[in-house]
Amino acid sequence: MSRKVKVIPCSGIGKVYGLMARESVLKTVKDLCPGESDTVCLAYIVTGDKEAREMIAGKDCITLDGCPALCSKKNAELAGGIVRESLRVVDAFRRHKGAKPGTPTELTEEGWQIVDEIAGEIAGKVNKLNSEG
Amino acid sequence: MKIGVVSCSGEDCLGGTISRLATRKMLDEIRPDETVTICLPLYLAGGEEERGFAQNFPTITVDGCSKQCAKRATEKYSGKVSAALDIADVIGKETAEECSLSTRDMTEKHREMVNKVAKEISKKFDAVVMDYNKRVLAGIEKSGKEPEGGCGCGCSK
Amino acid sequence: MDKSLAILPCNGLDKCAGCIAREVALELTEKSAGEIICPVFYRVADAKYNKLAQEKPLLVIDGCQTRCASRLAAEKGLKVARKVNITEEAKNRGVVISDALRLGKKELELAEAVAAELLKEPEAEKMAESKVTFPEHFDYEIYKKDKFIFRVPREAFYFNENDCWVYVSGNMARVGVTDYVQQSLSDIMFFTPPAIGAEVDQFGEVGTIESGKAVFEVISPISGKVTAVNEGLVSAPEWINQNPYEKGWIAELELTDFTSDKELLLDFEGYFKIMKRKVDEFHVKKS
Repeated sequence: MSRKVKVIPCSGIGKVYGLMARESVLKTVKDLCPGESDTVCLAYIVTGDKEAREMIAGKDCITLDGCPALCSKKNAELAGGIVRESLRVVDAFRRHKGAKPGTPTELTEEGWQIVDEIAGEIAGKVNKLNSEG
Repeated sequence: MKIGVVSCSGEDCLGGTISRLATRKMLDEIRPDETVTICLPLYLAGGEEERGFAQNFPTITVDGCSKQCAKRATEKYSGKVSAALDIADVIGKETAEECSLSTRDMTEKHREMVNKVAKEISKKFDAVVMDYNKRVLAGIEKSGKEPEGGCGCGCSK
Repeated sequence: MDKSLAILPCNGLDKCAGCIAREVALELTEKSAGEIICPVFYRVADAKYNKLAQEKPLLVIDGCQTRCASRLAAEKGLKVARKVNITEEAKNRGVVISDALRLGKKELELAEAVAAELLKEPEAEKMAESKVTFPEHFDYEIYKKDKFIFRVPREAFYFNENDCWVYVSGNMARVGVTDYVQQSLSDIMFFTPPAIGAEVDQFGEVGTIESGKAVFEVISPISGKVTAVNEGLVSAPEWINQNPYEKGWIAELELTDFTSDKELLLDFEGYFKIMKRKVDEFHVKKS
């Protein structure tokens, strides 16, 4: 049975933080922890059928929200996921005051640097959760 | 006149990435004055502003795959969808179901897909606007009072 | 002062004030039973200090207005018994802190004086807390633009044209920013409060808030003396986005002359009209 940790971005389309959440998670599950994590589409697990909910119900999740609205955390919990870690992209900006990450459509070099940093942080948490196994 | 465009979250497949980017293109370039993008995750989580808008204004849903999350969510919480687009109908089912794509890895081929889909969205957009205007005019003739409409900029915050 | 404190200095290395904070902490440990929490170590591995931080009253020493030590305490969910800010202490004593990072005679004397004052006082001074009870909820008039909602409280608030509000209760007032500001700024990430005890003129600055888009100076609608700030905003500035009139208030002031100040302020009707125009113009400009 797959022991992969579900890493779920908020995928918000209105703010650059949503794009950064998405890109950070893609990097984590595709490049950094491909065997230990995967992602699910938030909207599918909330609006989907029983099969969709089984993808997440009772499973360990790490959520990455763009902003304090916490849509990923809320929706993952709504769908029955166990949110073990809840991260926010805006918190990364506390360490990068004055950074200009880009727009909700396209990131700057600075934005990508922060994405890579967040992805690294998530990868650390994935490994930690898996080692607790 | 404002129209809400609801894109799917787009995490599962290439169609989702294209859906998001084409929706952004509507807001950024094609219809900046008339488009309001509805953030689907916020909409699902109970976002008051997103749901309020979708209940009172026409909406177009754009889905990356056959699961049709954007369409189903909008119908569930707002009761109506003025138009719906499935990316697979534009770029082909097989292409739409390829792996999700990072914007870092976009190629010219992907940008062309985005343009093609955005063009289809704007066709539906214009049809919705025309239909809405007809009904508004009918409203004026009957009641002598101009219905309220939205105006202003897009939702890019 | 309780001699057995947990002491959390900011230990900042980009300003002299951070180095002075460290010096104060060292003085205190040498002259009392206080124990230092290393902020750097605490951030990466909190197990070592959690027990100390929870069992002993906590003294936080910030170097400057960035308040890194306060933020760390807030992040870790610690209850703070006392706070001191080196930059404010220097200002109150008329000391101009050097730009250099090595402590000179002036800086060492300042550290000694701050530490001595902390050791002298019989009990930990509480952070200036709100002295007046303000209502927790208000009724709002709403203006909707596309999907955005702009709330303005209908009664008992006054506003300036810089989109800041004041609510008066007796001789005290609470100030903050309006929905127009938080919507325009989007996600607010940083809050720099005014200093407790600071005298603020009407239309003077009473703190700043910052998002990824801009830094916004909060312009006080009234003149007065700052008696309390909303410390929760340091770790959760998003409260301003959630409700800038209720949990997102900025500061409380003791009024100097509200009768005069009021003449230059707008009531609900006046502000609502101006705000609507701004919202519409903003949209037109964007197109």
